[in-house]
Amino acid sequence: MSTAVIHANIVDAIALPRIVWLRPNLIGLAFTLMKLLPARHIVRKAGESGELRPGGLIAETTSGTFGLALAMVARLQGHPLFLVSDPAIDAPLKRRLEDLGATVHIVDKAGASGGYQQARLEVLERVLRENPGSFCPRQYTNPHNPESYAPCAEQLSHAAGAVDCLIGSVGSGGSVCGISSYLRLLGPELEVVGVDTHRSVLFGQSDAGSGRLLRGLGNSLMPANVDHTAFDQVHWVGAAEAFRATRELHRGHSLFMGPTSGAAYLVADWWARRNPDRLGAVILPDEGYRYLDTVYDDAWLEAQGARLDVLPREPVEWDHPHDGTDPWAFYQWGRRTHAGVMGGAARLQGVPS
Amino acid sequence: MSQSAAHNLEPRGGPGRRTVELPASLPLAPAPPRHAGSAVVHAHHGEIVQGVFYSADGTLEHGLVTLPCPLFSARARFHARPTGPLAVEPSDRGRALKAARMTLDALGRTGWGGSLRMEGNVPLRWGCGSSTTDVLAAIFAVCDAFGTQLPREWIARISVAAESASDSLMYGPERAILFAQRLGTVLMDLGAPLPPVRVLGFNTEADRGVETLALPPCQYSPWEAEAFRPILGLLRHAVERQNPVLLGRVATASTLIMQRHRPKRGMADLLRLASECGALGVQVAHSGTVVGFLFHPGARSEADVGRARAGLHRLGMDRTWDFSTDSAPHPAGLP
Repeated sequence: MSTAVIHANIVDAIALPRIVWLRPNLIGLAFTLMKLLPARHIVRKAGESGELRPGGLIAETTSGTFGLALAMVARLQGHPLFLVSDPAIDAPLKRRLEDLGATVHIVDKAGASGGYQQARLEVLERVLRENPGSFCPRQYTNPHNPESYAPCAEQLSHAAGAVDCLIGSVGSGGSVCGISSYLRLLGPELEVVGVDTHRSVLFGQSDAGSGRLLRGLGNSLMPANVDHTAFDQVHWVGAAEAFRATRELHRGHSLFMGPTSGAAYLVADWWARRNPDRLGAVILPDEGYRYLDTVYDDAWLEAQGARLDVLPREPVEWDHPHDGTDPWAFYQWGRRTHAGVMGGAARLQGVPS
Repeated sequence: MSQSAAHNLEPRGGPGRRTVELPASLPLAPAPPRHAGSAVVHAHHGEIVQGVFYSADGTLEHGLVTLPCPLFSARARFHARPTGPLAVEPSDRGRALKAARMTLDALGRTGWGGSLRMEGNVPLRWGCGSSTTDVLAAIFAVCDAFGTQLPREWIARISVAAESASDSLMYGPERAILFAQRLGTVLMDLGAPLPPVRVLGFNTEADRGVETLALPPCQYSPWEAEAFRPILGLLRHAVERQNPVLLGRVATASTLIMQRHRPKRGMADLLRLASECGALGVQVAHSGTVVGFLFHPGARSEADVGRARAGLHRLGMDRTWDFSTDSAPHPAGLP
């Protein structure tokens, strides 16, 4: 039975994913732009609480898809938007943000300490200070971010009933921690597999060394919205592997998604092969258009040294999270806190046996 | 009498009445008005889910889905008189009396009177819908006396007006309804009955109950308010696929949220026992004191139900009852 609904606007129309089979035991949640869910919900909640008044300024630091989602929501609801970004922002995204009426402020030099991230935060705080009544969504700490994924959990539960495992890339913690918190209310045994990338601090690596080529997952700062106790297992996926998996997703399933989706798909496909009698669902957060000149361009991959002809079939298992740039690795996190994993292991090393 | 017939709330309804199709060429003569009518309405065993849900226009409304229970029922008999007072026995059934008066008005019999007699075995203050069963039985008995029916929306409105809160009993067990109990409106018709389950019921407060209508609505946290979305999503899947296992998960999730607001004593022990005995889930009367362990329907869960009953006995719950939602009440199961 099909439903024919005229949505109030494009955000409501495309906020939820398409749900497609990727394997007999693996479901893909293919979003157009996943961050529409937190952007819409956070702005709605701020309006309900009075924190954001009609026509009030929204300001945020982001150079990614959350900025685009905010720009769409802010435009539809008549809020001016101020986004702070760094020179790494890609030009097409900047043009699109500006066409949606956002002011995109590029910080041109890194802070004395804390790099661009710190410099961006300083600009943001100044703008918020100078504009009384302005509102900052703060996706990394705002509890309405994980909460905003309840409609996705509803859609998945309605369509699939109970799934045994949720696999997703982790950046702000919103999607994986939000969806799994709701699914576990309905089935506490749900397995949760987080996908991170090397040189991200989320699950015990340090971000020392050169920057991360794979963007959209991982983080240099620890977001409060990452609930480490949600995760049974954590994977670290490298850029080349994620890019290759993104192309496999396209070639094998005609699913045109970004590299965050590729990283999650790499892990989910492995999980599904290892668990033929269980049902998994993988989060695919955004589409491939932004990456046509990068991930979908073999010459660019070659130039980055990130071209991979054959995808690895298996990750290596680590007995503890440690620094390293490759290969694809995983660790049984065991629903512990960050301190429980990192501190606990350190204590164990100090215990004479 | 089959369970669905027992739950047929249409006045003068009998088994299979709804399935009889008359040739279109034969016009039905209107039934002659009678002066006596009766109706039986079965109660429920609390709810599968109760919480807040988004209505079509995006506002949050309190809503619930009840679990039908053929063990308890209310019967109303009504004798109509064109003039004179309207009286009810027992005299404390003021809500039923009020509903009867409003039904007479709705039927264009303003000024009529008569006698309304209520009887039944629905426990009071357990959260099994004792008020609603009385009110609905009164409405249906009055309609029956005039050989007519009222649209369900009218019945819902009278029911809400007569007792300030209502539930979806008037829709019977043929369809699971997400019902806005404070508005008397349907939030969602789930399109099929609840999947069949076997229920082992008991009362957590043997001697007491709670005054349902005195309870204020729960103030859910933002996370909880959103949690009813996936709960409803899984309920819809369970109903569409007639899956009792997933219905059990829905019930337990709603029970866990309600436990934060109106805790039932010993719930941790009850949840553990249910899990150990292979129950599919635990449902509660969210505004009452009954609890039900849900099992697969029929004989396949006989041993599990037996173990659960023994475990409940150890926890001090001596009186239990047992029914399946897809079959007639078991006489031995009557509490």
